[in-house]
Order: sequence, then structure tokens, then C-alpha cells
Amino acid sequence: MINGTVVALSRWQFAMTALYHFLFVPLTLGLTFLLAAMETVYVTTGKQIYRDMAQFWGKLFLINFALGVSTGLTMEFEFGTNWSFYSGFVGDIFGAPLAIEGLMAFFMESTFVGLMAFGWQRLTKVQHLIVTYLVALGSNLSALWILVANGFMQDPQGAKFNPLTMRMELHDFPALLFSPDAQDKFVHTSIAGYVTASVFVLGVSAYYMLQRRHMALAKRSFRMAALFGVLATAGVITLGDALGFVGGHAQPTKLAAMEAMWHTEAPPAPFNVAAIPSQSQQRNLWTLQIPYVLTPLITHTTTQSVPGVDTLEAQAVQRIKNGIPAVEALKRLSSNPNDPQALTQFDAHQADLGYGFLVQRYAPNQDVALATNADIAKAARDVIPQVAPIFWTFRVMVAMGLLMLAFFIAAVMFTLRNDAEKHRWFLKLALWMIPVPFVACEMGWLVAELGRQPWTVYQMLPTWMAASSHTVGYMVFSLAGFLLLYSIFIAVEMYLMVKFIRLGPSAHGRESPAHGGGSAGTYAPAAMLK
Amino acid sequence: MEAYVILKSLWWLLLGVLLMGLAIMVGMDMGVGTLLRFVGRTDTERRVALNTIGPHWDGNQVWFILGGGAVFAAFPLIYATAFSGLYVVMLLLLWTMIVRPLGFEYRSKLPGKNWRNAWDWLLFLSGFLPMVIYGAAVGNMLDGVPFHFDWDMNSHYTGSFITLFNPFAIVTGLVSLSLSIYMGGAMLMGRTEGAVYERARKAVIGGGLVAAVLFALAGVWVSFLPGYQLVAAPDPGAAQTPLQQTVTVASGAWLHNFGAHPALWLVPVLGFAGMLLGMLAAGNHKPILTWWLGALAWIGVIGTAGAAMFPFMMPSSSDPSQSLTVWNSVSSAHTLAWMTGWTAVFVPLVLWYTSWAFYVMRGKVKSEAIEADEHAY
Amino acid sequence: MKTFWMFLVYLLIALLVIVLGIILGDIGPWYFAWLVGTVMIVLISAAGGALLDTQEEEQESSRA
Repeated sequence: MINGTVVALSRWQFAMTALYHFLFVPLTLGLTFLLAAMETVYVTTGKQIYRDMAQFWGKLFLINFALGVSTGLTMEFEFGTNWSFYSGFVGDIFGAPLAIEGLMAFFMESTFVGLMAFGWQRLTKVQHLIVTYLVALGSNLSALWILVANGFMQDPQGAKFNPLTMRMELHDFPALLFSPDAQDKFVHTSIAGYVTASVFVLGVSAYYMLQRRHMALAKRSFRMAALFGVLATAGVITLGDALGFVGGHAQPTKLAAMEAMWHTEAPPAPFNVAAIPSQSQQRNLWTLQIPYVLTPLITHTTTQSVPGVDTLEAQAVQRIKNGIPAVEALKRLSSNPNDPQALTQFDAHQADLGYGFLVQRYAPNQDVALATNADIAKAARDVIPQVAPIFWTFRVMVAMGLLMLAFFIAAVMFTLRNDAEKHRWFLKLALWMIPVPFVACEMGWLVAELGRQPWTVYQMLPTWMAASSHTVGYMVFSLAGFLLLYSIFIAVEMYLMVKFIRLGPSAHGRESPAHGGGSAGTYAPAAMLK
Repeated sequence: MEAYVILKSLWWLLLGVLLMGLAIMVGMDMGVGTLLRFVGRTDTERRVALNTIGPHWDGNQVWFILGGGAVFAAFPLIYATAFSGLYVVMLLLLWTMIVRPLGFEYRSKLPGKNWRNAWDWLLFLSGFLPMVIYGAAVGNMLDGVPFHFDWDMNSHYTGSFITLFNPFAIVTGLVSLSLSIYMGGAMLMGRTEGAVYERARKAVIGGGLVAAVLFALAGVWVSFLPGYQLVAAPDPGAAQTPLQQTVTVASGAWLHNFGAHPALWLVPVLGFAGMLLGMLAAGNHKPILTWWLGALAWIGVIGTAGAAMFPFMMPSSSDPSQSLTVWNSVSSAHTLAWMTGWTAVFVPLVLWYTSWAFYVMRGKVKSEAIEADEHAY
Repeated sequence: MKTFWMFLVYLLIALLVIVLGIILGDIGPWYFAWLVGTVMIVLISAAGGALLDTQEEEQESSRA
């Protein structure tokens, strides 16, 4: 059976490659719409400066985009290469949004990104504007479909287990697409991308304003990014709350971990602002609490109770006991799909099949029929994910979100008075803010996916059995390969990004008044070397 | 026939169409990558070559991504078993492929000679290796792959990755490589002039010739290769797993489908016709015709492999009765129906705007234009 | 005649948007919110950019 080290290494590899991919995605999601906004002004007012803006930020966008595309390929492979049991188990449902993502979103995004970069001379203004909007729409639609897929892992809607094919199968596509978790998560993530792009554009513009270079371009970019960002940040926070609300119902174990709630308390329960949770002792070694706040925060009422770890573990014990006969019946059905007795037994217990799988790991010879109460207790304890990292990544994300809201409100104030360049402290701050949204996005991924543990598909498929049955040697090989390649990639990308930011739009040859559609000499590699 | 059988067969066909689309469109770009350093002797010539596919490689690459997604959605068990079983090879394919977008985007961003040379070689590698692996993967499917399943359908691959590079797989890998060189050459012929055009034309003829010879060789080889045959299996329209069938192995069995339906011989004939007529077209300076005949050759080659193997998709050499077929590795009828709907709407749309993109960027790529355009690769 | 056809096209788009709004608003409220929100964010940001030009011109003329 599957080796624990291999599962752990597979998890590390997936987390590292996904987090790495997710460094580039948010900027793509937001920057495309910001580019579209800039180009909209260009097309409606006809002012050349907005075209320069679209082209300059477009150049930085493409440097980032290339790596987003590259690392996205890895993700498309990795479900099959490293999570083969998972792929066979839920491919009937999970594969569909991925295929539709390619068909509907990737084709749109990738075909038009080529025209966006190469079509300035060949398309009319309006055609090019439409192309830019289609790139933005395409990249965000790809986020939609992958988050529909992810929403299924968090809260499996619209699917049913089929004992004849030994896998989960789709039975309600609209339920999958419109699952509340998928909806909230898509909007939250997409708009988090808008925030990321806004902070990026604002920070780089502030850098030029500090140096008093490219003022016309920097001021306009600053203005547009500030407005874009303040609205987007407000949206992210709203959706974050909605996600907590939906997730609180669908994934109570994640919620308990996010809030470090070891015991169910009578509502209205206190909110842990900060805590040092101890997983082994199942309590907080230290807390800073605000009384009564948690219940309204999560349930939007004062009377609903929020289950803590103790309640959830007790529930898990019951579900594991109910799930064991489901696994036994399934084993019999595997060799004889027409065994009517096994089918009846399976039907009666299938709601808790996943919990049966959960205890399989601890049962002697992995035979659930032999599982003792001690094994069941161990499996029930697994139901609670690692509290400390989830509790803290969540708090870092929220703190950063609030920080960015304050930052953007100040930015909007300054830019509307058109005196941002006079507040040099703020410009410096803006430069230092650039990493913040990237970190916040990574934290969001960690909260969502660490909080889903021990499941790959919530309450259906435990992570420990979802991985491919590789040897440790294979995993070390692939991890080393990714580490090497990805380190080189990020170094090259950062080098180019910083270089082209430093050079600014002039490297572009676009700020000179003598600009004409692609006249010779405007492309000056020699100038770039300075 | 019941609806589920029709859906299963339809998705087998659609997967074939996707593999052909992938081979034609991505293979063309990879051919340009492979040829880059040989058709282009100076930096400007190489930039011209790169910019012929500059606006299109990203869109074309989606055929590859969609190939992965469609296998996942329509044949989850194949996706799970093949991708994990061929782990090391898949990673080589992946690692060479992920260098490509960076190669296109970053190569001409800096003027340094070493910088550009390094990216040129990486583009060569990321054109050459994936096409060999792509063909070798098909060869391995014909050969059978050692894997089996647990009771819960967890798959285990029991071979070493070296066996994936057996002589037959290398021949099929080279067929795929030479056809991609042909298609890359055809694209370059259409969009370049002068020296690059002439060298590309030679590459088309060379690639076509090698492909034709190796395709014939592979055909003869297959007639001696052990083939797989379903002896007993549940009804094709039934929901099933690969644990409920009996399969035998017999030398030359891959030709049985051709014996039963002689009309199928037209498929390999189409492949040869595409290659031979394509070389003629290239000789007569007809780049567009050359390209389309090359596409026909791909259709013939991939169609031949599919026709020989049907209904098998991934036979198991270590436990033939657990082989994956169209019938036992496919998705549920519900998923297939939904996917058919999405495909019917979006594939025509994609074809429409892809051809529009090619239309917008039509014409020869000129070196002066590249030097003037700061977006050029 | 051309104006009439354009009118028809715009009318059709308007009807489509309304139908989409009704359907999405019913079963996918957050998706609908994303659509509306994104359009709003892009337009406000674009308008803000254009406003800066006006502001600058005003400052120029008041200085002069």
C-alpha cells in the first residue's frame, strides 16, 4: 500500500508547485483588466499617453504571464502524475471543469494574448481593445473553472459514488458549477488578483514618482490603480466574509482550526484574536480574546452555536463506525459487482464511505473489519487539521487585507487631490507594499488547502490514499528537478522584471513625441544595456 | 445501440481529434523550435523564424493542455494510470515544455549573445524532446505497459522508466519528431523569405522522407508485435471497471481490425499520401498546400494507431486482462453528455477565432518589421 | 437602415444582459456580483484616469 513518506513528499511537491504558480496568477487576473481599463481611456479619449501605459504595463504583464503559463502546465499534469488514485476516483467530475477551462478560457486567453502583443499595428483601435478585454475575460474564466474544480474538493456538490465503477460520478452539473463554495471562492480569488495588480501598478508608479521620472504615465497609472484597488479590496473583504460564512457550514473542521476553537462554547462565543494552539494537548496555551464576537462574525446571528474540535471529533467517531460497513461492502462489490447483499449494505452506509477510508490506514492489514476502537479514535483525531498554521496564516491574510484597504483609501485621497507626489513617505510605503498582496494570496491558498486536510475531497477521499504509488526515489527526483528549474525561472523572471521596471517606459521608445507606429530605431536594445 | 455506447465511441473519436490537433498545431511550433538554429544562421534570421509563430504558439499550446484536460474528463482512468505510470517520462516532457514559454518571451528581451544562444538551445530542446516523447508514448501504448490495479482501482506501475525507451517506441518517437520538423518547415516556408525559406523547404522534404520510411518500418514492426484482444468482457454499454474482462495476447493481433474492416487500410494510405504529396508540394513552392498535406499525414498516422488498437487504449503487458479500453476507462454517461454539449459550442468558436488570429497575422515576417516592433520576440 | 440594424443589435445585447442578470442573479448571485463588480471597477478606474487629465488642464489654466 501507499508509503507515508511518498504521500508527504507528494503533498510538498503539489503545495510548492501550486504556491509557486499562484505567485504569477493573481497579477495576471488583475493586470489584464487594468490594461483593459487603460486602453478603454485611450480608445475613448484618443490620448496617446494611455496607449503608452497599456503598452508599458503590457510588457511587464507578458514577462509575468510567460511564467504563469509555464507553471500552469505543471498543474495540469500533476493531478495525474502524483495523485493518480484521486484522478481516477473523482476524474468523472473534476476533469470536466478542467477540460472546459481549456476549451472556454485558455484558448480565449492564449489566442488573444498573441494578438494583444503583436496586433498593435494590424488591428484597429477598437478591435485591439476588444482583444484586450477578451484576454482579461479569458484569464478570469480560467480562474472560474479551476475554482469550480477546487470548490468540489472543498464541498463535493452534484456528485455521487457509483459502486459499479468504484468512483464518484457527476449527477448534477449545475450544482457543481453553482456550488456556493465555488462561487465565493472564485469571486474572492479573482478580485484578490485585482488587488494584487493594483498594488503592483501603484508601487511601480510610486517608484517613478519618487524619482520624478515618467510623471505623466506614473500619475495616471497611480490614479487608476488606486481606484481599481480600493474597490477591489472592499470586494475581497466582503467575499472573504461570505466565504467564511459558507465554509463555516460546509467545512466545520476548517473553521474550528481557523479560529482555534478546541471546545464548543455557548453562543455568543469569544473570538481569539491571537493564540498559541497546541495540537497535542488540544487547547490553546495562550489566547487574546474578545468576548461574544465570534458567533456574530461567523453565523451573522448571536444564538447559533459554532462546533469546536471536541464536538467534531465525537461526530467523526460515529461516522467512522458507520463508514466501515460501506468499505467492506465495496470490497465485495469490486470482485462481484452484482452481489445484491453488498449493494444493499453499501447503499445504507455510503454517506460515510470517506470516513471508512479514513480508518483504513490504522486498521490491521488495512482491513477495516479489524479496526479497533483505538484505531477509530486515532482516525477521528485526524479529522482536525493542523490548527496552528491555519490559525496564523488566516490571521496574516486578514491583517494584510485590512492593511491594503487602509493603504488604498489613503492612495485614493492623495490622487484625487492630485498631490500624491508630495507625500514621499507614502510613495516609499507604496513601494514596500508590493510584496504584501502576493503574500496574502499565498496565505489564502494555505488556509483553504491546509484547512481541507485530512481530506483531498472533503469527507469523501482522505489525502493519505489519494497519492500515486511511487517510490521515494521518484519523488526525490521530481522534487529536485522542480526545485532546480523553478529556482532558475524565478531568478530570471525577477531579473527581467526589475530591469524593465528600472528602465521604465522609455526603454520602450514610446514617450518621445516623435512616436510613430513602429518606425525604425524605436526598439533600442543598446539603450537597455545602460 | 444504446446512447452510452455512442457517447463512449464519440469521445474516443474526439480524443483522437484532439491528439491530431495537438500534433498538428503544437508539433508545428515544436518543429520551428527544433529547426530554429538550423534554418536561422544569424540572430535576425532566428528572430524571423521565432516570430512566424510568435503570435500563435500560446494559443496552439492549449491543444496540449486541452488534450490533458479531455483525457482527465473523458477517460479518467487513463489519465490516472498513464500519467503516474510513465512518471519520469512525463516529467521530462513537462520540464522541457515549461521552458518553452520562457524561451519565446525572454529570449529577445536582452541583447547578450550568450543569453540568446542559451535560450535558442533551450527552444531546440523543448521542441525536439517533447515530440520524441509524444511519439514514444504512443509506441508504448501499442507495446503494452506493465501495470495492474488493487481492488479499489489504485494503479501500480511495475516497470522501470528505461523500458519506456524500447526500440519500437524510439521509432514511433522519431516518426513524430520528423513529422513535427516537416510541419515546422511548412510554417516557416509560409511566413519567411530568402535563405530561411530555402532551408525550411529542405527540412520539409527531409522530414517528410524520414517520416514516410519510419512509418512504414513501424507498420511492418507492428505486424510482428504482440497485439491484444478482448475475449470476454461486460457489455460495452455497461458501467464497468477493468477488473471484469479477459484479454489474450497474440503476435500480429493489432492487424485484426484491418482484417475485419479492409476499408481501414485507407487510413495509413492517407498518412503516406500526405507525406509524399506534401514533399512534392514543398518541391513546387506551395507552402500552404504543404502545410495542409502535412496535417493530413498526421491524421493518417494517429488514425492508424487508433484503428489498430480499438477498443484498447492502454493495454497492460503484465496483466493483460486489466487492460484499459474505451469501454472500461471512460467517464459516466452524464459527464460525457455534458462534455459533448460544451464541445459542440466551444470547438467551432475556437476554430473560428483561431483562424481569425492567423488571418490577422498573415503574410511574411520581415526582419525590418521585427527590429521596429518592440513586442516582437 | 444601418442605424436600425445597429439599434436591433444593441437591443438584443440589452435583452441578453437582462436575461443573464435574471438567471445568474437567481442561481449564481456571487457570479452575477462579479460581473457587475468587475465592470464597475474597470469603468470607475477608467473614468478616474480621464478625470486626472481634466484636473491637470484646470490646474494649468488657473496657474496661467
